[in-house]
Amino acid sequence: MVNALPGAATPAISESRAVRWVLIGTSVVFLTVFLLAPLALIFATALAHGVLPYLRSFTNPDTLSAIRLTLLAAVIAVPANLVFGVSAAWAIGKFEFFGKSLLISLIDLPFSVSPVVAGLTYVLLFGAQGVFGPWLSSHGVQIIFAVPGIVLATIFVTFPFIARELLPLMAAQGNDEEEAALTLGAGGWQTFLRVTLPNVKWALLYGVILCNARAMGEFGAVSVVSGHIRGLTDTMPLQIEVLYNDYQFVPAFAVASLLALLALATLVVKSIVEWRAGQLHGEAA
Amino acid sequence: MSIAVRQITKKFGSFTALNSVDLDIPRGRLVALLGPSGSGKTTLLRIIAGLENADAGSVEFDGQDVADRTVRERRVGFVFQHYALFRHMTVFENVAFGLRVRSRKSRPPSAEIRRRVGELLDLIQLGTQAGRYPSQLSGGQRQRVALARALAVEPSVLLLDEPFGALDAKVRMELRRWLRQLHDDVGVTSVFVTHDQDEALEVADRVAVMNRGRIEQVGSPDEVYHRPATSFVYNFLGNVNLFHGRVDDGLARVHSEPTGDIVFVRPHALEITRQPLGANYFRATIKHINAAGPFVKVEAKTEWGSAIHVEMPQERFRAMGLLKGEEVFVTPRDAAVFSDDRHAVSA
Repeated sequence: MVNALPGAATPAISESRAVRWVLIGTSVVFLTVFLLAPLALIFATALAHGVLPYLRSFTNPDTLSAIRLTLLAAVIAVPANLVFGVSAAWAIGKFEFFGKSLLISLIDLPFSVSPVVAGLTYVLLFGAQGVFGPWLSSHGVQIIFAVPGIVLATIFVTFPFIARELLPLMAAQGNDEEEAALTLGAGGWQTFLRVTLPNVKWALLYGVILCNARAMGEFGAVSVVSGHIRGLTDTMPLQIEVLYNDYQFVPAFAVASLLALLALATLVVKSIVEWRAGQLHGEAA
Repeated sequence: MSIAVRQITKKFGSFTALNSVDLDIPRGRLVALLGPSGSGKTTLLRIIAGLENADAGSVEFDGQDVADRTVRERRVGFVFQHYALFRHMTVFENVAFGLRVRSRKSRPPSAEIRRRVGELLDLIQLGTQAGRYPSQLSGGQRQRVALARALAVEPSVLLLDEPFGALDAKVRMELRRWLRQLHDDVGVTSVFVTHDQDEALEVADRVAVMNRGRIEQVGSPDEVYHRPATSFVYNFLGNVNLFHGRVDDGLARVHSEPTGDIVFVRPHALEITRQPLGANYFRATIKHINAAGPFVKVEAKTEWGSAIHVEMPQERFRAMGLLKGEEVFVTPRDAAVFSDDRHAVSA
């Protein structure tokens, strides 16, 4: 824009250009030091002894079990939060009810509470010495130091993602289109599938991507409730820690590279979704 | 279909939106609910549609209470103020929506849907725009799509909420006439909400004037304009000058002091002269003259200091050669007096 103006070579402009380069330079240096270098290091260490040792890392049964458990937790947590996020956003965006602002604050809770604290609450609730612990163990249900605890902790730390994406959009869109659908003879479910959902699909997809990334990468809360039983209750992030502490750097960084790849894939999909949503929005403008 | 509204009351918290409202809408008529914002007209429309529930009272379609019928069962066509078009669907899909969501056995075959939507798009003169999205249309076009979408389900009644509210003056004028024509062609019982008295008087067969959750008067445009039942109706339909005054010997007289009665005079019923006319006149000083338009609008200040508005024909204005700052005599030709000034809004 600035270059298009007449007199682009005036001192005032060149000064602002210098400022611009300083700002851009700072961001680039910062990103390189804190993001790109560690990312490169992950792959460099994982592949330090070549491709074969890298691939062999994934034959370790404990590692495979960790990958399976991470996928399982995500497969349960993401749909659960999808249902929760859509219902919460719908309720908050489209109705007036008592305690609405409280609900909005509660949705943000996992963002403000340390994941470790979240994990500890689950231990205090469901652990052997916890509030429901004795009752649960007498009925043969184990939550803490078992898969259910990991799933619960994952759901807890990831539940704001989808609701947060949908909330502002649904509130801004209001009820008009839903009411129009009703007057045209559509039922509640038809209205949801044909009107509400298509209107929020990009925000929803974006929320799901973020939710999934966090679900697979969560460490703190899961670490507290997992109990680190190798091959049973270790997720990928926990397995990385275990391997690293055993000085098995190549396998540790190999698993880390999987998570890094997931993050990169998430970024790519996220950019595509944003570009696509932006394009639709551009059409609308 | 005829609609009867019986003793409808609706409160939002402590605010009474509708206060025991009765209204009859005969079959095939085009009725306007006219009133200022907050008068309850939109709430009444939404209650008729079933989008809102009344706290008390009933709505009857053809004499049948429809309290237990949901929105979709009432078969009303509703046109929303901001169109509420489905933004992710094309014009064609918007209009087809009501047919597509029908149950399998009552849904027309897709060739039939295409034919009917095509007909409606021709009716709204948007046959060539079928593939566009609502965001690519102008306001007037969106409004017509909203109408076609409502008509596609062959509603037994058409309800329109401020149908032209969001459009500019010229488009509004065109769409008004178009709606009137459409109603005469289709003949469906229609109710529309508006705050624009010109719109209501021009388009509707009957006008229900609403104020503060009540209907002040129902009648033909001619009746409500020429024989207003309350001071509010008089005041709301057209411009008006308010004076203190009293009826003496069957003649409304203007006083400079409060008398308890209010005299209403339309701007065109005030006559400006250079000589006193008869016995009922007052003095005024001309403050401003606007000669653009079919009538010349004169703003003047009365001898007791209040502002009045006078409208006079161009020929008379030119013959008189009125000037700004001139002192003249003003005679009310025709006035309405309301002893009950509950609704009077100060001018």
